[in-house]
Amino acid sequence: MTFSLSTLLLAIVVLPLAGAIINGLFGKRLPNSLVGLTACGTTGLSFLLALVVFSKLLRTPLEEIPNLSFNYFRWIQVDNFVASFGFMLDQLTGVMLLVVSGVGFLIHIYSLGYMAHESGYYRFFAYLNLFMFSMLILILANNFLLMFVGWEGVGLCSYLLIGFYFWKKSACDAGKKAFIVNRVGDFGFTLAVILIFWTFHSIDFRIVFARAASFSVEGFASGGVLTTICILLFIGATGKSAQLPLYVWLPDAMEGPTPVSALIHAATMVTAGVYMVARCKALFLLAPKAMLLVAVVGALTAIFAASIGLVQNDIKRVLAYSTVSQLGYMFLGCGVGAFAAGIFHLMTHAFFKALLFLASGSVIHALSGEQDMRKMGGLKDRIRRTWWTMLIGTIAIAGFPPLAGFFSKDEILWQTYSRGHVLLWLVGAVAAGMTSFYMFRMMFLTFYGESRVAPEVAPQVHESPPSMTVPLMVLAIGSVLAGWVGIPHLMGQYLGNLPNTFEQFLEPVLETAGQEAALPPAEGTEWAVMLVSVGIALVGLLLARTFYLQKPALPERLKTRFRGLYITLLNKYWVDEIYDGLIVKPVKTISTYLLWKFFDVMLIDGIVNGTGHLIRGGGGVFRRVQSGYTRSYAGWILLGAVVIVVYISFS
Amino acid sequence: MLMDNLQSLRYFYPELTLIVAMLVVVIVDISFNRLRNVLNPLLTIAALLIAAYFTAYVNHGQEANLFLGMLALDSFAQFFKLFLLLAALLVVLGSLHSEELLQVHQGEFFALLLAVTLGMLLMANSINLAILYLSLELVSLTSYIMVGYLKGDRLSNEASLKYILFGAISTGSMLYGFSLIYGMTGSLNLYTIRDAFLSQGVQGFDQFTILLALVLTLAGFGFKTAAVPFHFWCPDVYAGAPTPVTAFLSVAPKAAGFAILVRFLFSGMTQTSGSEWGLVNGINWPLVLIGISVLTMTLGNIAALTQNNLKRMLAYSSIAHAGYILMGSVVLTGEGLKSMLIYMFVYLFMNLGAFLVVTIIYNSDRSFEIGDYHGMFKRAPFLTFAMGVFMLSLTGIPPFAGFLGKLYVFLAVIEKGLFWFAVVGTLNAAVAAFYYMRVIKAMVLEEGNGKTAPLHVSFLNQALLVALLIPNLILVVFWNPIERWTASSVKLFSGL
Repeated sequence: MTFSLSTLLLAIVVLPLAGAIINGLFGKRLPNSLVGLTACGTTGLSFLLALVVFSKLLRTPLEEIPNLSFNYFRWIQVDNFVASFGFMLDQLTGVMLLVVSGVGFLIHIYSLGYMAHESGYYRFFAYLNLFMFSMLILILANNFLLMFVGWEGVGLCSYLLIGFYFWKKSACDAGKKAFIVNRVGDFGFTLAVILIFWTFHSIDFRIVFARAASFSVEGFASGGVLTTICILLFIGATGKSAQLPLYVWLPDAMEGPTPVSALIHAATMVTAGVYMVARCKALFLLAPKAMLLVAVVGALTAIFAASIGLVQNDIKRVLAYSTVSQLGYMFLGCGVGAFAAGIFHLMTHAFFKALLFLASGSVIHALSGEQDMRKMGGLKDRIRRTWWTMLIGTIAIAGFPPLAGFFSKDEILWQTYSRGHVLLWLVGAVAAGMTSFYMFRMMFLTFYGESRVAPEVAPQVHESPPSMTVPLMVLAIGSVLAGWVGIPHLMGQYLGNLPNTFEQFLEPVLETAGQEAALPPAEGTEWAVMLVSVGIALVGLLLARTFYLQKPALPERLKTRFRGLYITLLNKYWVDEIYDGLIVKPVKTISTYLLWKFFDVMLIDGIVNGTGHLIRGGGGVFRRVQSGYTRSYAGWILLGAVVIVVYISFS
Repeated sequence: MLMDNLQSLRYFYPELTLIVAMLVVVIVDISFNRLRNVLNPLLTIAALLIAAYFTAYVNHGQEANLFLGMLALDSFAQFFKLFLLLAALLVVLGSLHSEELLQVHQGEFFALLLAVTLGMLLMANSINLAILYLSLELVSLTSYIMVGYLKGDRLSNEASLKYILFGAISTGSMLYGFSLIYGMTGSLNLYTIRDAFLSQGVQGFDQFTILLALVLTLAGFGFKTAAVPFHFWCPDVYAGAPTPVTAFLSVAPKAAGFAILVRFLFSGMTQTSGSEWGLVNGINWPLVLIGISVLTMTLGNIAALTQNNLKRMLAYSSIAHAGYILMGSVVLTGEGLKSMLIYMFVYLFMNLGAFLVVTIIYNSDRSFEIGDYHGMFKRAPFLTFAMGVFMLSLTGIPPFAGFLGKLYVFLAVIEKGLFWFAVVGTLNAAVAAFYYMRVIKAMVLEEGNGKTAPLHVSFLNQALLVALLIPNLILVVFWNPIERWTASSVKLFSGL
């Protein structure tokens, strides 16, 4: 039995929705096993179908791929504005499809074990399935508006899942923060879509990009329309993908259950911004200023978040800042024009960051909910599987060859350097060193050294069930292997002329004509850049080893010596406090006194209630007029007739 | 085409059917003591259906002046006749299980209803002031009896007496107005009257006489449509009459009143030039009608706010709705007329529905007080749902038919540039929302007053409720047939 691509794509999307509906409506009455089966079954099937679609895509002739667009029905049609419910398929979508459904499926499996003892089991899986549905809509959509539907859908699910423990105030606050901060970005996205329709008279990706390509740069665009569109799109991306200055919600989002942090706030949703920028490559390439902005913001976010990560004590927060920092790398890659490298890093990051989060979840699970690394240590032998899988993740993210992170991060850094952005490269390289340092710091504090585990927890430390450790191992294997599809040419030539499969695959979508390296691709330089990367990572590793294994007193001494710097980092540059003072407090004051107490209570309510009283009084008067006496009625009628006569005679 | 008496008879079948049926019902009533309670309703229903059949099919597409220019046979009359027959039919069905009417001898009730219907059909047809007056009197006199039908009931008798008094004054003044018009123009035919005004110009007559004649005539129409300030009889009469009669009065004679008003205004007082109307008269009719319309809806709505008796509240509400319908007559365009007809059409279903619910609840609880409706949701969920739909529809909330009526009426005045008038109408609708919602609140939100037994609704009444609910629920989606029907009905006046 063979199905057409359009049917398959629809099925991939609809399956998780069906799971969400079943669990959402009936989950309360179903046993947990059935809830889990529904959720994992639908996402698993989705993943299988995604594999089928991908294999079909590989067999499709290259020249036909740009025609793979399926409109299912006309969703909105007003005048000449048409929004279809339609999907498209190309190489970029294919990669995203595999990452989202694959990692998503693994995390569903992991959640079976992790959430086993939680209340609201069905609610969790209903949300999780709904998230899968929205995310798949986001990446498959063939127009901006449908993408926005998915974009908002994942935002909603993120909000619901961050606030999953809704009885905890911190969780609720974090959910609201994520939602509100994202609205700022979404506003940019909305404006961008409106501006795109206004400029190109269409919101279909392929039509818009085709029209953009034939856009006269001297004419219309010189007014900066394209640059404006791209910057607005990027504002949307900074919200969803937690870049400066809208990154503040992501660390707080760790209030949600750990599988959520892994799936939504590390592997998939937060990369939506990167995906969107890559998808709109055709627009960004025509707006160099916007590109530069993307690169600069990406690089700054990378180092900024990494520096905060250096001193955090909560294991999930370290990972959260690391996510923000890694997303910065992806934007750096896109910003310098190496979109394929950005997407490559997105993919490898999905593996090792999901792995790291799930492993941290396993640690937290083992320690009965403890997240403070100062109360860990020496766990290496107690939870061995978690330890070695997490170690692989750490090595991968730190950028040591031949694990996944090395290839993708190095690709971004080399592309940055070779395209002439030496300063940005330097920033990225320093951030890489920091990454290595804080990741190994986390490893050492958690698994090595002496145990600082609280005495009452210590006896209960246990390895997690297989439903949790198996996904860890699968992801660990992925973290090792995922990079090998993108071995740089430089190394490939010594390995039997291995091509950079990944970049070749994505080339039809993400080729960057006219953006070739500014520097000649000197082999020596490329080796040098690569070695510097690895060297910096090694320095980070060694420093962490000195600080946290060999001389545990050293960090304390440094803390007192560079107290100002330490406090600044520990308090995350006081960004939250600054936002609070500059934005939250004034908004609260204005809404309380001006909007609520004045406009609402005094003006609106006053008018409404006043009118009500007035009319009620009027009703009373009319009631008395209707006295029941015929003679008085006759009098009124006479009066009325006279009034009409008088009125007509004088009008 | 002008037809003589014999030629005209074959176009008079609907009315003839009613006359025959009325006589048969009276004979059956005195001849068959045991069967009459079954036969009479059946006869009445059959007569109404046959009359409707004749109206809809036999006379279809014909335009003529019957009986030497007494009655008009046209699509406008056809619309009203079908409308009135449908209203009568629904009221007959609604009255069958009314405990109020079952207490007393029923025979004459059906005969009277047929007589009223006959009168109303003639009103819708008439283009001659004499026949107009006669048909109006036929309607009025039979209505007086129907209002006082509960012989032992003091309120019913009082209502009847008041109705007679006001009816006498109003028709008297109207007749005086007619006589002045006759004196000025020498004719009772509306077209001749218009031609006389046109040929001599308004200046050719005494200004004050014209004014007086028209205002006195207007008083008669105002009485029938219960427009302010000729509405005083309305709340007392509606509250005192048996509920099915009230339902009937609130829809049918009112519609017939609008029919003669439109005919008088559009055939007698204005001329068509292209698709626009020009007034033959120096009188600023629109301004007068706007004034009456605004006063009518505002007073109706505001007075309804403080009523605790649901029948009385619905009486005021029907005054307010007359105000909305008048809005359509103000603009003197085909759109305006069409909007009036659409409004009346949807009003038929929502208002009769609301009165049917009142009848059903009175059957078991013997009360019209809103306070006694508390907790009705638990006792009769379907009834409550139906009432909710009728109330929301009367308010004019979108998914229900009432919205359609308001939409067309407001659109008609907005197209004429009378924005403030539409704003007044909207504000009035907002006020009205309060008392309609109050009924829903009483039925759904308030705690019951001790009664918990499920409320009995007979099968007939349930079927009737469903039949009245359906138009309220679907008309907004399938408004197209109604729009086309009403548009073709007013073609006569739109000069197309």
